[in-house]
Amino acid sequence: MSRQRKSISVLIALLMMLVAILSACAKSGSGQGSSNSSSPANTASSDSPSGKKSNEPITLRMTVWGAPEEVAAYKSAIARFEKKYPNITVNLQHIPTDYDTKLTAMVAGNDVPDIAQMESASIAYPLAEQGKFYNLQEFLSSDREINADRLVPNISYSLEPGNVIGLGPGPESFGLFYNEDIFKDAGLAPPPSKASEAWTWDKFVEVAKKLTIDTKGRNASDAGFDPKNIKQYGVNFPTWWGSYSNFIFSNGGDFVSEDGKTFALNQPAAVEALQKIADLINVYHVAPSPVQAKNIPATNVALQTKKVAMAIDGQWVSAGLAQSKFRYNVGVLPIMKKPMTTVVCGMFSMFKSTKHPKEAWELMKALMDPEASIDMLTAGTWMPAYKDWYTDPSMLSKWAENLDSRPSGYKDAIIDVLLNDSHQTPTGYVKNFSKIMDIVNPALDKVWLGQQTAQEAMNSIADKAKAQVQGRRDVKG
Amino acid sequence: MRKGLFYGLLFTSPAILGFIIFTLGPMIASLVLSMTDYNVFKEQTAFVGIDNYSKLFSGEDELFYKSLGITFYFVILRVPAVIIISFVIALLLNLNVRGRAIFRTIIYLPSIVPAVASAMIWMWLLNPDLGLVNSMLKWLHLPTSNWFYSEGSVIPSVVLTTLWGIGGTVVIFLAGLSGIPKQYYEAIDVDGGGWYSKLRHITIPMVTPTIFFNTIMTIIGSFQVFNEAYILTQGGPNNQSLFYVFYLWRTGFRDTEMGYASAMAWVLFIIILFFTFIVFKTSKSWVHYEGGERT
Repeated sequence: MSRQRKSISVLIALLMMLVAILSACAKSGSGQGSSNSSSPANTASSDSPSGKKSNEPITLRMTVWGAPEEVAAYKSAIARFEKKYPNITVNLQHIPTDYDTKLTAMVAGNDVPDIAQMESASIAYPLAEQGKFYNLQEFLSSDREINADRLVPNISYSLEPGNVIGLGPGPESFGLFYNEDIFKDAGLAPPPSKASEAWTWDKFVEVAKKLTIDTKGRNASDAGFDPKNIKQYGVNFPTWWGSYSNFIFSNGGDFVSEDGKTFALNQPAAVEALQKIADLINVYHVAPSPVQAKNIPATNVALQTKKVAMAIDGQWVSAGLAQSKFRYNVGVLPIMKKPMTTVVCGMFSMFKSTKHPKEAWELMKALMDPEASIDMLTAGTWMPAYKDWYTDPSMLSKWAENLDSRPSGYKDAIIDVLLNDSHQTPTGYVKNFSKIMDIVNPALDKVWLGQQTAQEAMNSIADKAKAQVQGRRDVKG
Repeated sequence: MRKGLFYGLLFTSPAILGFIIFTLGPMIASLVLSMTDYNVFKEQTAFVGIDNYSKLFSGEDELFYKSLGITFYFVILRVPAVIIISFVIALLLNLNVRGRAIFRTIIYLPSIVPAVASAMIWMWLLNPDLGLVNSMLKWLHLPTSNWFYSEGSVIPSVVLTTLWGIGGTVVIFLAGLSGIPKQYYEAIDVDGGGWYSKLRHITIPMVTPTIFFNTIMTIIGSFQVFNEAYILTQGGPNNQSLFYVFYLWRTGFRDTEMGYASAMAWVLFIIILFFTFIVFKTSKSWVHYEGGERT
C-alpha cells in the first residue's frame, strides 16, 4: 500500500518536472511549421488572388508595439487583408513594452516574424546592416499600386541609396500648438498657420515673453518679473532631438556634415539653434527647464490648464487635444532661416527569412492603406502615407476636415509644411546615430541647465563624437 | 540509505535542475561568450580570446571606468547606511511597546511595493519644484536640492530611495535579535549595567552573524543596482548615474554587443566575489558564534 503510494508520488513528481521543462523550452508562436514551398500565391501587382496555388494556407507573423487603439487599427487592416486573401492567416503579436529587447531575443533564437514594426533610432539599422531585411525597393519599383512617388516625403528608410529597409505607415511632423483663449485674453495675434507668414525667432520669443506669467501676474517682459515662481510658461519646448532638430534644420544646420565625414552639431548653424533654444529656458525664462518640465503634464492637459500657452510637439498630440474640450489650434513652427519640420515615424520592415515575401508585401500595403486605418487618422494620432490623401480634396476631406482633431490651422501649418518643407529624421540618414547621441545628450544636459553654452558643450565633445561618425546613408560611398 | 539518497535527489531535482539549466548553464555560456565578439544580429561570431577584457581595462571604453566609479560610490554610501539604519530600526521594533506588530508591518510594507511603483512615488516626492520633500524643506527654511536632476545629488538621492525598502534587512535583524537568550540581559541587570552595556556587550556581539550576513547581501545587492537607473534617471544627468549593471544592460540589449556585455558581467562577478571574500576573511576577527570558533 505505502509502496504503491510512493510510486504514484514519484510519478507525479516526474510528470510535473516534464511539464515544467517542456513548457519552458517550447517555442511560442506559430508560423514555423507551415509549408516550405515558397511559390507565391499571386503576383504582387494583382488586385485579387488569381494564381493557381492561391488556396495554399499561409501564415504570416507580425510584431507591433503601440497603444490599444493602434493595435485595433492594425487588427482592422488585417481583417480586411484576410478577407481579401482567405488563404492567409496573420498572426499579430503585440509587444507593448521592451519591444527591442524581445525582438532581439527573437533574432538570437532564429525565430523572427515575417514583418516587424521597427524604430529607426534603435535596432532597425543594426539589423539591416546585417542583411536581415528585404530591400523593399524591389517591390516598390514593380508594384502597380504604390511606388516611391505615391508616398509622402520622408517616410521611407534606406540603408543606402536604393536599398529601402522600411516604410512608415504614415508621417508625423511638428507644429506649434496653442490655447486660443490665452491669446485672446492677452490681446495677442495667435501664431500664423501659413509657412510664408511664419514668425521669426525674435517675434516668437517676444510673444512667449508676454505669455509667461509669474504668480503675481507679471509677464516676462515686465521689470519685476519673478522667474522662480512662474505660473504659466510661454512655450513648452521638449529637449529631445526630434524637437530641436526642427530648428537645427531650419537654421541650415545638421547633425553631421553634408559629406557625412564630420560631426556638425558644433558648427555655427547648429550651435546657434541649440543656444537659442537654451536661451528660451535660461535667459528669457519662457520655457521650463528639463527639471521643471517634469511638472508639465502632457501637451493637451498643459495647454488646457494654461500651464503653458504654446507647445512645440508632434502632430500626434492632436488626438489628445481633440478629446480635451477646449479651444486649441496649431500654427506653423517659428523659423530661424526657413520653414521646416522634421518627419519622424516608425516603419514596417520585412525579414529576409520570410518564406512568403510577396504575401508579406501585400500585408504591408494593407497596413499602409489609409482606408484601413481611417479611425486613427480621424482621431488625430496618424497621418496617411499616400500623397493623394493630402492633395486630392475629396480624400483630404476624409481625415482633415471638420474634426476636433484637425483644427483650422492644420492644413497650412502641418500638411503644407510636411509636403513642401520637411526634412528626414536624423535617425534615418546618420549612421551610428544612437552612439553619437550617447555622447551628445549628456553634454546637452549642461546646455539646457545653463551650465555651459552650446558652443562650449559641443566643442568639448566634438572629438569624441567625431570618432563615432561613420557617414550618411543618403550619400553613396 | 541509498534509497533515501535517490528520493532526496529526486525531490530536490526541480531545484537542482533549475540551478543547472537557468543559472549554471547561462553562466558558463556567458563565460564562453565573453571571449567572443558575439553580436546578436551578426551571422558570424569569432573567438577573440581576452580582447573584450583588455578593451575594458585599456581605458578605451571611458564609460566602463566611469560606471564602475559611480557604482563604487553608491556601494560605499549605501552599505553602511542600510546596515546601521536597519539595525537601529530593528532594535526599536524589538522593544516591548504597544502596537509593535503594526510598526513592524509599516517598516516591512515598502518591501512589497513593486520597484516601479516605489520609484514613481520617489520621483514625485523628490520633484525639485512640486515635490513634498522640497516643499517641506522650503517651509523649514532649509536649502532645497535638485535631487535626481543634478550631477552632485543624484547618487545620494538614489541611495535615499533604496533605503525605503530595507524592510527585508530589518526582518533578518529582528530574527537575530529574538535569538538572544534573555538570561544574558538578566545577568547584566543583576550586575547593575544599563542599556548601553546591554547593547555593547550582549546585543551587538550576539547579532554579529546577522550583521555579517546582511552586510554581504547588501554589498551584492548594491553592486547590482539597476532599477533606479532604468526607471528614474536613465543614467543621467551627464552620465552621473550610469550604474554598472545599467551600462551592461544597455551594451547587451540596446547595442546588442552580447560578447562585450558578458565580459562586463564577469568583471562584476569577480568584483563581487572579491569583496565577499574580503568580508569573509575579516569576519573571523569580529563575528561571534555562540557555538565557539567556527571551523
